[in-house]
Amino acid sequence: MQKVVLYTDFVSKLKEIFVKSSLDTIFYLPTTSYRYKKVVKEEDFYNIPFTSIRMIDPIKTFLFKHKENLVSQDIPYNQISTIYVVGVKSCDINALNVLNNMFITEEYVDPNYSYWQKKLFIISSDCPYPQENCFCSIIKGTPYPVSSFDINISFIDENNFILESGSEKGEEFLSTYFGDKDSPTKNDIEKRNNIRNLAVRKIKEFNKEYIEEKTSGMSQEVYYKIVSSFEQHQDIWKKESLSCVQCLGCNYICPSCYCFLIRENSNSYKEQFRDRVWDSCHSTGYGRVAGGANPRKFKFQRFRNRYLCKFVFRKENFGFYGCTGCGRCIEVCPAKIDMRKVIRNLVLSKGEQVLV
Amino acid sequence: MNIYQPKNFQIVKIIQETPNIKTFTLKPLNGDKFSFQTGQFIELTVYGVGEAPFTPSSSPYKTETIDVTIMRVGRMTEVLHSMKEGDIVGVRGPYGKGYPVEKFESEEVLILGGGVGMAPLRSLLLTLIENIKRYKKVVLCYGARTPQDIVYKHLFPEWRKVKGLEILRSVDKCEQGEWDETVGVVTCLLDKVNVNTTNCKAVVCGPPIMMKFSTLKLLDMGFKPENIYLSMERNMSCGLGKCGHCQIGSYFICKDGPVFTWEQLKNIPEPFE
Repeated sequence: MQKVVLYTDFVSKLKEIFVKSSLDTIFYLPTTSYRYKKVVKEEDFYNIPFTSIRMIDPIKTFLFKHKENLVSQDIPYNQISTIYVVGVKSCDINALNVLNNMFITEEYVDPNYSYWQKKLFIISSDCPYPQENCFCSIIKGTPYPVSSFDINISFIDENNFILESGSEKGEEFLSTYFGDKDSPTKNDIEKRNNIRNLAVRKIKEFNKEYIEEKTSGMSQEVYYKIVSSFEQHQDIWKKESLSCVQCLGCNYICPSCYCFLIRENSNSYKEQFRDRVWDSCHSTGYGRVAGGANPRKFKFQRFRNRYLCKFVFRKENFGFYGCTGCGRCIEVCPAKIDMRKVIRNLVLSKGEQVLV
Repeated sequence: MNIYQPKNFQIVKIIQETPNIKTFTLKPLNGDKFSFQTGQFIELTVYGVGEAPFTPSSSPYKTETIDVTIMRVGRMTEVLHSMKEGDIVGVRGPYGKGYPVEKFESEEVLILGGGVGMAPLRSLLLTLIENIKRYKKVVLCYGARTPQDIVYKHLFPEWRKVKGLEILRSVDKCEQGEWDETVGVVTCLLDKVNVNTTNCKAVVCGPPIMMKFSTLKLLDMGFKPENIYLSMERNMSCGLGKCGHCQIGSYFICKDGPVFTWEQLKNIPEPFE
């Protein structure tokens, strides 16, 4: 279902839902400082930057907490009925596909993840003004969500939104609150698509250095195939990882990194307690086994593992890349390591051999 | 049932195998039976200390109790080794895919074990012994560092009596007069084995370095990559294919393994160490 809604109508409706709901409904809104803000008062709905790029906090922070109990009997916050997260971008939505595939499998459903997933109501929005570190459409994404949201906001002009439902929950939301609104006209859709296409072009422009010129017209598919064939080329990985200080920032800030460490802290078998914290494949001890053997002993191996995990292993598992092009790892890196540059350098150094 | 919550098991028996290896017999506290396939692993919890993966070394035909043979190498096993009969531990599992025993039928099977890597292989061996006539031939090659480091010393005399099972053992080093079998690393036993390498199935478990050189040697002897089964025992932490620690290439050892063929692993960078 699609509806055309005025910006002001939409915001005042959100405000109305907030005011009418009791403490069991939580709203998170995007801010101009790129952090989600938990709404505590009506005024918080003032000036929501819907067109901003993704927030710093990845969407996983709502589903897969940095630290959470695994076996304790009392589920925290069990009074919560719905968590509205507003302004989620497509890079985070795509990351959810990775997380969902990891945490909810046919065999084992992660209880914590699925608990939060049921509470979450995602109001995503298009990303008309991508920034220089964005590269979603370079790796098969788009700067606008296409599925896996409850409601998506796309833009016709400054004042008019198209609201689109992407789930049963979203359908219900839309018909309850905006059932009387018009469906978008052909003209509306065209205007919306123009804005979307402009964003795609912008991303291409920001990334032309990494894709088009230097790789001399190689298709994206070939581009990443070359990366995957680089597993054994130690020298190149050693060179690229030289400046990495293993701060683990890229892992923690990544919306699709899901690794965790279980910590057993029971007092006794009668009083069990264990929790989990985010873990990182860049840390030395990540793969180490008792006795000291370590399958990724050297920094370049761990550095390489992150790229292979995102671009090769998850592609083999799920058919799509683990990286969604959000650019957070580029921004967070104290050594200014840019994933796109690393890949370009790999391709270039391999290029000579490949093209011969 | 919470997938992260262990069930309580009681330690009912402890056997000191070597100076730093013990076999613990565990029994479900609530009297349940515990079923697993040979080669599958469990997550064993020492409450308040840690949780680690181990492969049961007992026969899957025995469901009242399970045996786990554990070397004292880290923080968790250190505490486990100080535990007494009657103490309570936690068990989750079984997880992963075991040895594809049905594929071994009517074939020659070569089992290659190093050190405490004999633990999962004992479970396999007991499974094979149960129906030994179904297999053309079973050969066990077992290597340990010294004669003192050999596990299951009390079981070998019994196994030697089994018809259709051939046993070769080696130690890396020993005092004079202490050992009358082969001296050398376990791969040197392979020179003495008489099997048809083009069809024989090989099962390898041991420390990473031993797995590496055994695989190379087996390939050299003419074994097919799809006939070499390796027990890749990494630091599986959740056991459910979620936490990521045991990833090897696009596989998760805990759910796709722990048993892999060399065919599956050969293109993965540095599979052993």
